[in-house]
Order: sequence, then C-alpha cells, then structure tokens
Amino acid sequence: MAHVVLKDLVKTYGSFHAVNHVSLTVNDGEFVALVGPSGCGKTTTLNLVAGLIPVTSGDIMIGDRIVNDLDPKDRDIAMVFQNYALYPQKSVYKNLAFPLQMRKLTKEEIDRKVRDAARVLDMTHLLERKPRELSGGQQQRVALGRALVRDPAVFLMDEPLSNLDAKLRVQMRSEIKRFHQDLNATIIYVTHDQLEAVTMADRMAVMNGGFLQQYDAPAEVFANPVNMFVASFVGSPAMSLVPLEASGSGDTAALTSAEGWTLPLSAENARKVARATSRKIVLGARHSTIRLHKSAEPGAIPAKVYTVEPTGDITFVQAFLSGSIVNISVPASVHVSPDEMIWLEFDQARIHLFDGETEMALKAA
Amino acid sequence: MSTTSETLAPRRGRRRIDGWRWAGRVFLLLMIIYTAAPMAWMLLTSIKSGFAAMQFPPQWWPEEPTLASYAKLLDPQNSVGADFLRFFWNSLFVSTMTTILAVVVAVPAAYAFSRFSFPGRKFLFFAVLLRNMFPAVIFLVPLFILMRVLGLVNTHGSLILTYLTFGLPLAIWLLKGFYDNIPVQLEQAARIDGATRFQAFLLIVMPLSVPGIIATAIYSFIAAWNEYIYAYTFLSKNDQLTLPVGIQRFFSENTTDFPGLMAASFLMSVPVVVLFLVLQRYFVRALTEGAVKH
Repeated sequence: MAHVVLKDLVKTYGSFHAVNHVSLTVNDGEFVALVGPSGCGKTTTLNLVAGLIPVTSGDIMIGDRIVNDLDPKDRDIAMVFQNYALYPQKSVYKNLAFPLQMRKLTKEEIDRKVRDAARVLDMTHLLERKPRELSGGQQQRVALGRALVRDPAVFLMDEPLSNLDAKLRVQMRSEIKRFHQDLNATIIYVTHDQLEAVTMADRMAVMNGGFLQQYDAPAEVFANPVNMFVASFVGSPAMSLVPLEASGSGDTAALTSAEGWTLPLSAENARKVARATSRKIVLGARHSTIRLHKSAEPGAIPAKVYTVEPTGDITFVQAFLSGSIVNISVPASVHVSPDEMIWLEFDQARIHLFDGETEMALKAA
Repeated sequence: MSTTSETLAPRRGRRRIDGWRWAGRVFLLLMIIYTAAPMAWMLLTSIKSGFAAMQFPPQWWPEEPTLASYAKLLDPQNSVGADFLRFFWNSLFVSTMTTILAVVVAVPAAYAFSRFSFPGRKFLFFAVLLRNMFPAVIFLVPLFILMRVLGLVNTHGSLILTYLTFGLPLAIWLLKGFYDNIPVQLEQAARIDGATRFQAFLLIVMPLSVPGIIATAIYSFIAAWNEYIYAYTFLSKNDQLTLPVGIQRFFSENTTDFPGLMAASFLMSVPVVVLFLVLQRYFVRALTEGAVKH
C-alpha cells in the first residue's frame, strides 16, 4: 500500500476547468471519499490519478513517485468501475486472471491468487461463469475481486455501488468497508451519495465546481462545514439555511427576519456575526438541533408547517420560516398538521452562521 | 382505473398482436416465395438437358435429370470447364483480397473514429460517405482513365482497389457502430490491469468486435463477388475475367446453353451461401451482453 498526494492538480477542457487546483493527501491505508454533485470534478480527479486522462498541470504522487507521465499500467493501481467493466467474453476466472497475466505471473501463481481472491469474496462457485450469467451484486463482487487479486498500491473506486438496488447497496457498503479494514488498503472512492462517504470513509473530500471545498473526517465535515455548499450537501435531510439580517453590535447582536421577529444571539455567535462582510447572515441548523413548540415560548420564533413526513420512530416536519423551508425532526408522539403555526427554538451552541455574501462559515476569532 | 378495464386491456392487446403476427407470417411467406422461386427454377433448369430446358409448356420437374452441365463446368479438361474454373478462381482471389484489405483498413479506421477526437474527425467521417451519394457508373470512365495511367488496366489490382474504395465507407460506418457499443471502460479497465493501449485493443476490444468484423467481411466479399460493371470495363483478357463477366459467355454462342448458365449461376452462389451458413451465428450472438450494467 502507499500514500497518494495531489499537488495543485488542474484539468481543463478548453476554457472549462474540470478540476481546479486541487491539493490533497491520502495517507497510507486511508479510505478517502471524493464526494460532490455530478459535474463537480470528482470522477475527473479519479481518472487523473488512474492515468486515463492527462493532467493539465500539477503533480500526482503515488508512493514516492511522481506518476504524471506514467501509463495506467505502470501506476500500480486497481480500479472498480461504476458499470463494473467486466470482460464479457471471459469467464470470471479469466477476468480475475487477466491483470496477473498482464504482469506475466506463472500459471501456478495466477491460479493460487485467483482462487484466494475468489475465496475471500465467496465466489469460488462462480469462477466458470460468464459475467452475463451473474446478478448485479455478483458482478460487482467480481469487479472488486479483479481489483484485489493484484495487491495494488492504491484502489480507485468510481461509484461502485450506484448500479445496485438499495438493499444490496447497503450490504455491499459494509462489505467494502470490511474489505478496507481487512486489507488496510489505500482507497480513493468516488461517490455522489454523501451517505456512502460519511458511513465508509476515514476522510471525505467534498468537491463542487472543480474546487475542493472541504477535506476532513466525516464527523468534522458534518459538525463544522466550511461553507453553505458543504453544509447543504452533507447530512440527510440537509441542513436548513435561512437568510436573515444582522442587527445590533458587539455581544448583543441579533438576527432579524423580514417577517418581523428577532432571534437574539449568544455572545459567541454575536462575535461571529461581527466578522461578516455585510449585514446579510445565513442561519444554518440541522433538523435534530431545533426544538419544536406548539405554542409561543420565550426565545422561540414562529413558523408555519408545510409538510409532515412520519418515518416510524421519528417524524420530519418541514416548515416555512422567513421564506425558507426548515427541517425539524420530532418524536413520533408529537402530532402537527400542515398549515399549523409552530414555534422553533434554536440551540445557540449548535447553530451555524454563514456570511450571506461569501457563503463561508463565520468563525469566532 | 376500474378493475374491468384493467383485465380487458391486455386481452385486447394480445388479440391485436396476433393479427399482426399472422400478417407478418403471410408477408414472410410471400417474401420466401419471391426470393426462393427463382433459385428453385435455377436449380431445376441446371439439371435438365439443353432440349428439355427450351420446351414449352415448360417441364416443371425435369423428366430426365442430369448432372452433365455440372460435370462439364467442373472438368478442367473441357474448354468450358477450364474457363469456368479460371473465372471462379479469379473471382475468389479478387473478392478475398478485397475482403482482407477492407477489414485491415476499416478496423483501425472505425476504431479511431469511435474513440479518438482529432481535428476534422466529423468532416472526414461524413466525407467517407460522399462516394455513396453517386451511382457507380459515374466513376466508371474517370476510374478507367486513372487505372490506365497507373498501368492497372487488365490487372486484378484495379478491381481490388476499386471495390475497396467503394466498400470501405460502409464497412467503416458499420464497424464504428460496433465500437461505439463497446464501453470505453473495458479498455480503461484493461489498461489499468496492465495492458498497453494496443494490447487493450487487441485482447479486449477485438474479440468483442468479431461479429462486426465478420459482418463487414461478408458485406465486402459479396459486393466484390457480384460486381459486374467495373470488372467488365477494366478487364478484357479472357484469362483474367471474373465470374459475373465470364458467365455471360454462355449467351454469346449461337444458342444460349441455359442448363449450363444455370449450373454456373448455381455454383457461383455456393461460396456466398456457405459463407453465410458458417458465419451466421456470429451475427446473432450478442457478445457484449452482460459486459456492463445499463
């Protein structure tokens, strides 16, 4: 296994910047997820690491080598594709053997490694089948096996689960995580599903518009998103964002809505607001940090219920607050109905404040 | 939706499909008669005697079937047979060479059109079709002059070159379609698995495009095998004629030898039929099935 370093990586197509000055380090044995909406540059970044497309500028290091100009075959990597890319004319055995044959291993070594990999992935009975005779989950497992059979320096995975049905996806998710733990493998994993990134990765790199937005442990990204994009992308349901106006100054600042109510801020939050470039502030809060009251309470602000989504143990309430939709989760025992007035109480220690102009998170000095 | 309409809808649908199926069967039957009847008549005439072939009303079934015409055609000692076998060999040589060259040129060309982006790609791709906008006869005289300048008149090379230029556009289009359907990820996977770009093409893409290559080959072969007008124009020496031109010599004697003509026509169709019988399974085998999840 090896570490991977991307240094100021750029990929342009004409004037379009697909990957824009991305720098990050993947430690030896680390599971890193590249996550973002489609077109954010995550797959392009992966293809750059794989060597399937040439870099425009910047450096890619695998281990201690700069691999910018190396062919994919010389980078000592393995890749799992979204559509699995199994060789359709070859049996499962030959699919697994192909990377070993290309590396000119002896027949006995190939046979031993193929059977080892098949045993690890529990598919010894499938070895003589053709890919088309396998189910989606089995094909996925063969694709994983073809990557693991060679013992590469780095595993690259491009949305390997997105073609599976929901149930299988959850199952394969834990299998890949297990695979990472057992092999202590360095994995770069591309996904558009933030839940996959959060549940599997040691660190996640959130990308948008070709830029790396935030690169940190999932818990840290979840707790302290650096900007409004990351805040709204990570977490399900997404963090609610409400644009408001700051009023007052010093330690006694408050947020004012055009609807007429005012939300006083704690001293620490007031100091954050003071650092904003303008009076425009966006209030962010996750569903679980908002308390719902059915009648007016001191410090709680009024909102109107939009929809109610019971999920069994908890109920998600969507409400209109100052023109924005806010998600709140409540125990199933709480009953509210659409168009009902409710009062929301924000936990000052757990709200997020963003600069309305720059969209960056505001931090206390 | 009410229960009645739900249960009725499929039944009505099935009845309609049945009607279409029967119409289809009748249509197919007519097509079979249309295509097979001349072949049957050709075969029947070829085993008649010269006199029986001219009778009116015709003998629907030969009263004294004979293989004399075939014996004559396939006998190298007989002057007719010697000519026929030479024409046959000439046709086989020209068609086979055309086919091999067409595949050798079309495979890399089609792959390049399918996979690489290069300046003028689109223009070139449609330019290869330009030739097909014009009937073959238009190029007859210019090509004849060109061949004379090149010193290729009365050589098989002139025909091979001509058939190649005419056959390649469609061959390239046909093959490009096949390559477009082979997911690029297969090559990427192969390159990551340790193959060079060329190895990925040779070991992964080529085997998958076998049906396309065979379809292209058959197309080129049949076009060259049947071609008449260029062969008639470019070749005048008796020992170089190809079959379509050579066969008309059966007309040029005082009386037309119909059984001989039909026997020759039948023998001429044999290679094409054999080719189809041997290779047809490649047409229907969908090799890429199961390669990727769609």
